[in-house]
Amino acid sequence: MFNYTFQWKQALARLPQMLDGAVVTMQVALLSMAIGIALAVVLTLFRLSGSRILSGIATSWVEIARNTPALFQIYMAHFGVASFGIHFSPWTSLLLGITFNNAGYLAENFRGALKAIPDTQARAGRSLGLSELQAFRFIVMPQMLRISFLPMTNQMVWAILMTSLGVTVGMNTDLYGVTQDLNALTFRTFELFAVAAVIFYLITKVIQLGARLLARRMFRY
Amino acid sequence: MKFASIIAAAVATASMAAPALADKLDDIIASGKLRCAVVLDFPPMGSRDANNQPIGFDVDYCNDLAAALGVQAEIVETTFPERIPALVSGQVDIGVASTSDTLERAKTVGFSIPYYAFENAVVANDKVEMADWEGMKGKTVGATAGTYEAIWLEGQVKEWGEGQFRPYQNQADVFLALSQGQLDATVSTVEVAEANVKSGNFPGIRIVDKAPMVPDYVALIALRSEHGLIDYLNLFINQQVRTGRYAELYAKWVGEGEPADLTIKGVYR
Amino acid sequence: MFDTALSANDLIFLAKGAGMTIFVTLIAVFFGTVLGIVFGIFRYQVGPVIAAPLTFVLDVFRSIPLLIQLVLANAFLGMVLRLGLSGLTVACIVLTLYTSAYCAEIVRGAIESVPQPVRRAARSLGLSWRQDMTNIVLPLAIRVGLPSWIGLSLGVMKDSALVYVVQVTELLKSTQILITRLQEPLLLLMICGAFYFLISFPVARLGGYLEKRWTHD
Repeated sequence: MFNYTFQWKQALARLPQMLDGAVVTMQVALLSMAIGIALAVVLTLFRLSGSRILSGIATSWVEIARNTPALFQIYMAHFGVASFGIHFSPWTSLLLGITFNNAGYLAENFRGALKAIPDTQARAGRSLGLSELQAFRFIVMPQMLRISFLPMTNQMVWAILMTSLGVTVGMNTDLYGVTQDLNALTFRTFELFAVAAVIFYLITKVIQLGARLLARRMFRY
Repeated sequence: MKFASIIAAAVATASMAAPALADKLDDIIASGKLRCAVVLDFPPMGSRDANNQPIGFDVDYCNDLAAALGVQAEIVETTFPERIPALVSGQVDIGVASTSDTLERAKTVGFSIPYYAFENAVVANDKVEMADWEGMKGKTVGATAGTYEAIWLEGQVKEWGEGQFRPYQNQADVFLALSQGQLDATVSTVEVAEANVKSGNFPGIRIVDKAPMVPDYVALIALRSEHGLIDYLNLFINQQVRTGRYAELYAKWVGEGEPADLTIKGVYR
Repeated sequence: MFDTALSANDLIFLAKGAGMTIFVTLIAVFFGTVLGIVFGIFRYQVGPVIAAPLTFVLDVFRSIPLLIQLVLANAFLGMVLRLGLSGLTVACIVLTLYTSAYCAEIVRGAIESVPQPVRRAARSLGLSWRQDMTNIVLPLAIRVGLPSWIGLSLGVMKDSALVYVVQVTELLKSTQILITRLQEPLLLLMICGAFYFLISFPVARLGGYLEKRWTHD
């Protein structure tokens, strides 16, 4: 049918190496997500703090993260900051880049979620004797995280997809990096990347399924 | 069932018939255009001048070939990892991109006879103590993803069992990382190493030693099935050497001395 | 840091790259939106069972890194089908389909959001609307969908930075080319980042403004 001979065996023989890469990809994405959520909560607090400096920092972070390409952010985390003599390994640079991006997007999601939580709730908490931080921690934040759960799942999928950008900063242990290395050896571009695509697809499905189960557990809609 | 298979056969023949008549060489001549994949961050083989126009040994080589074919040359910039996808996806007709002719790769693409041969050098950051190539053991080293030296260096790091290997997407990123101190050392072709040290673009780096590798014979690449084109490329390379153009380009881009010998003693191609 | 070898020529070179970024984005967003609306309405009308194959294909575009989509499409169209398309064409095709996959989702979500005003997704977007207007599907759906669509368009612009893998010299790639020659990574990256920011930020603000205005009417 096609004027091309597929060599799937050559690609499938490398499957174990690619699966190792998939593990690294998941590690980076999960870590970036965990740190990203924590940072996004902090950024949200900064925005609520009323302090001009703090909310300025938070706003700049969010706007830069949302208005420049992720590839740019990762490249910057490696080559940009090195101009100041700060050196990160490819793994760290990739993690930093994605985390920066995650935190920015999630903080914006949290802001949207906060609008759905009436002020009166936090005020009621305050009048019960909770401190401002306690009111946020026990009343506002749980609802905020629940409302943002779907955007968070999407962000997690994006984090997985973003790991593929690590090659630009010398990463070769993640799924994309491994695939590209193998491609340099064998030049079997189509077969290798098709296998990588299937693995990526399965990872995102597992994450979405996991998120759905988790949501059912946690929120009991 | 029978009817369907007849139709399928007819469609298949119809779709196959047209391209089977002319081969790539004919296509190039007919289209009046030769599209070459060239890596442009690989001085002196390929780089850009102050107007961001492509220049270098490989660029001239492509121009010469186009002139021989009587067509216009079109330089398509690719990175090392992207040159094969560019070739097999038909965005370029050939690659003049310092492609090492390994047996593993020859399973996928067609190689001409070698048109150049590199020796490789170890380049280190000034702050790192290193006497010879074995000093790279245990250090953070890197090279350009998808190149002969990267494959060698990664193998070497694995063999040593210590240290770290990082492939970057292009030569410039490797030297940038080396100059910034993110890498302790790299292996690159002697030509590239000397050009980069000399240019002053990358302060704080020095050439340490030659890398103990078999010379890196690089060839032009075309689709594996295009024998007519590959035959033409072979003759073209032979003519470049025969007419002295090879030595001329070497003097223009690389410098003094003898250009690398492209023959291997004791064996036919 | 401002003692630079950057010439007017190089700035024009960068501007050309930015032009390419905008060109690819406009093509992808335009055709991707048209396709996305068709796909979205189709999915809503025929129900989940019949639309399953389409849903699956669109989902694939959202589950695989764009980088791999580009490499694969490039290899498939060129190597297997031998169409001999230019890198720019491949980039536009892939980005269009990529856009349409997200856009279809936005369209379907917007339509579905109309009869059920208190859906969580819409709430997280901060939108609310009067129930007595549910019979006017289109204007309401547009109100729900437009801010996401603006976000998607900006996302496509940023993602278009990846088309360098199919030999298209867009903004980030032109920046890298200049870094190669001039070795001033920080300055050049700043300029590149500023370019993106200047295009993206005002549009994002416009989206935020529309979102806010429509929430309160």
